[in-house]
Amino acid sequence: MPYIPSADDLEVITREVWTSFLDGDPAGLIATSSEMPADKITGCVHLTGAYTGSIMLQCSPPAARQAAAALFSIAPENVTQSEVVDAIGEIANMVGGNVKSMLPGPSALSLPSVVQGLLSVPGAQVVREVQLSWHAQPLFVSLWQQAS
Amino acid sequence: MVIDDSSAMRLILGRIMRSLGFDVVEAPNGAEAIARLQSGAMPDIALVDWNMPVMDGLAFVNAVRREEKWRQITLMMVTTESEQSQIVRALAAGAHEYVIKPFTPDAIADKLALLGVLAY
Repeated sequence: MPYIPSADDLEVITREVWTSFLDGDPAGLIATSSEMPADKITGCVHLTGAYTGSIMLQCSPPAARQAAAALFSIAPENVTQSEVVDAIGEIANMVGGNVKSMLPGPSALSLPSVVQGLLSVPGAQVVREVQLSWHAQPLFVSLWQQAS
Repeated sequence: MVIDDSSAMRLILGRIMRSLGFDVVEAPNGAEAIARLQSGAMPDIALVDWNMPVMDGLAFVNAVRREEKWRQITLMMVTTESEQSQIVRALAAGAHEYVIKPFTPDAIADKLALLGVLAY
């Protein structure tokens, strides 16, 4: 039975990305259950190959703006929409690439896509999810698997 | 030269490289990086992302290694692609080093020192 990364694995990888690029403080991300707003920002990368599925990062618009501000080293109020898209895409790419390394391979990693709202992945279901909070804003990371 | 489709990542890597004393040129994909080389840019080192639109990092490495005039450019992959088979492919194609995102500034500096393009 191939290993599928656990929710703890998703959390460790997300913390590593956050510590390296976002606030340098692993304690800044808090594991907690919270509600994700409907106008959430979703960043996603898809895997195709030995494992076919997706890695999705979802956060509230304020968290997305905060993340972009941290990556671009600018004030949140000065962040543009394209900077949010770039930042959330790159974060999803980093989290997804590291999750991919724990999945059965070889698989190809897609370029990231970023949308506002729910990103539908037809035929796929969530197999792992971690719910975190950053600056009191929700941040979810999930691993999806395509039904065979 | 920093080649990455993410402008945030180009900013971060560019800042690290400038802090280490490098002049930095940027390109958002392999094709634009090739265009810059063809128009005369001759970087000591190129930091190359893997997954990019238009021309990906592996295709860029292959294109650079086909040209004798670009032989002296040191190529370092900086990417989220962390499967062993991908690392082997990049190194076999002619990349000199491989850094997996996320990274720290020290990790970049250490690799550059290892490659001999940065004197401590």
